Amino acid sequence: MRKPLFHIAAVIGLIATALSVPVAAQGEPVRVAEFLAECPISHRLPDDPIVLPNLPGASHSHDFFGNRSTNARSNQQTLEGATGNCNPVSDISSYWVPTLYRDNTAIAPTGVTFYYLGEGVNNPAAIQPTPYGLKIVAGNAKATGDADSIARWSCLHAGHVNPSKNFVQCPAGTMLETYLDFPQCWDGRNLDSSDHKSHMSYPVAGGCPSSHPVPVPKLRMVLRYPVNGTTAGLRLSSGTGQTMHGDFFNVWPRAEMERRVRNCINVVIKCDHNGNHG
Amino acid sequence: MTVLLLAGLLAACQQAPPPAAPPPPPAPSSTQNGYGATERAFVELAIATDEQALELLGPTGRAELRENRNTELAALRTLLDAPYVNHHAGHDMPGMPTDAEIQLASTDPDAREQFVRAHLTESLEVIRSARQAITHPPTAEVVALMERHRTAELAAG
Repeated sequence: MRKPLFHIAAVIGLIATALSVPVAAQGEPVRVAEFLAECPISHRLPDDPIVLPNLPGASHSHDFFGNRSTNARSNQQTLEGATGNCNPVSDISSYWVPTLYRDNTAIAPTGVTFYYLGEGVNNPAAIQPTPYGLKIVAGNAKATGDADSIARWSCLHAGHVNPSKNFVQCPAGTMLETYLDFPQCWDGRNLDSSDHKSHMSYPVAGGCPSSHPVPVPKLRMVLRYPVNGTTAGLRLSSGTGQTMHGDFFNVWPRAEMERRVRNCINVVIKCDHNGNHG
Repeated sequence: MTVLLLAGLLAACQQAPPPAAPPPPPAPSSTQNGYGATERAFVELAIATDEQALELLGPTGRAELRENRNTELAALRTLLDAPYVNHHAGHDMPGMPTDAEIQLASTDPDAREQFVRAHLTESLEVIRSARQAITHPPTAEVVALMERHRTAELAAG
């Protein structure tokens, strides 16, 4: 028999009704599969524990967020013994991006949010917790133009400025922002790979490919920089805006990650910093 | 129909989450005295750096530097365990002359001198970092050669 196909919102509405999901005073829970961590800049180093492991000083400059201890020699054991600067404090994962410069002056982002989302795959109920120790690299540090880049630059509070894969000129009073979506399909076996990419994949037509069958939450990094006006002199330590890339080393405590995937992602509900809703 | 549907949905919701995947093997890392992730990363970075250094020196740059970079490149390439990929093109890596610096140096001898010195001092720092991290003996030999080269080159000029 052909399975009935329901509109996802209708299905979720029925589930919510049936389960009597607590409804916030101001209205219905937001039916977006999401939890988040906000992690300001922690430190800046010419280190990269994924691409140049154990080689301090050998990398282009990176801005690090989250775990306070991240350096070239970081591994799962060193990171899990340290603390982080995220809200929630339970997220001691490590995140890093190339440093942004105007001429030779480094500019730190002042808004740094990591969203974990259920979008991108058709069945968020099947999404699994991100494996502990998983390393993911997103974006193309070697991009030579728009064609081989997935970077996205836009302006906060200036939606009329078209997004671009390279830096955009933001009006006075607005901020330059960049979005980066990490691949969300895992091969189910490897926490890293020699090119740091092939153990992960983006979904295809709403599902994870058989080579990478395990859906995990989609990590979306949103950075906001105190920058507007001309793009002259703007560069990343990796080159043009098109080379924007991000690295993620998952050290969320297992129980915290599992609870959020179960309570926010699988049931498609927007959670707060503590992984709660309603 | 609605009741049946709700009952079905409830049943689906009450199922335990899908079982977690089995724990994966440890991430690839440097094997004891083998050619591991750190060795591979260093060799690829050093090739990219030396190639840019040759561009900076140009045909008229200091002859012993050109010779030493070419010697290092030959030794580094023998260490590769996979086709070489330049992961650092266009990046601002310590010790690696950028395309903008190379362009400026091509018409300004003073700038070239300054960039060559920066290449030597910064890449020496990277090499010293590698010396402490690399355990694979053939790679360590090349690291030692590169350190000797730069120490002598800095002393000479």
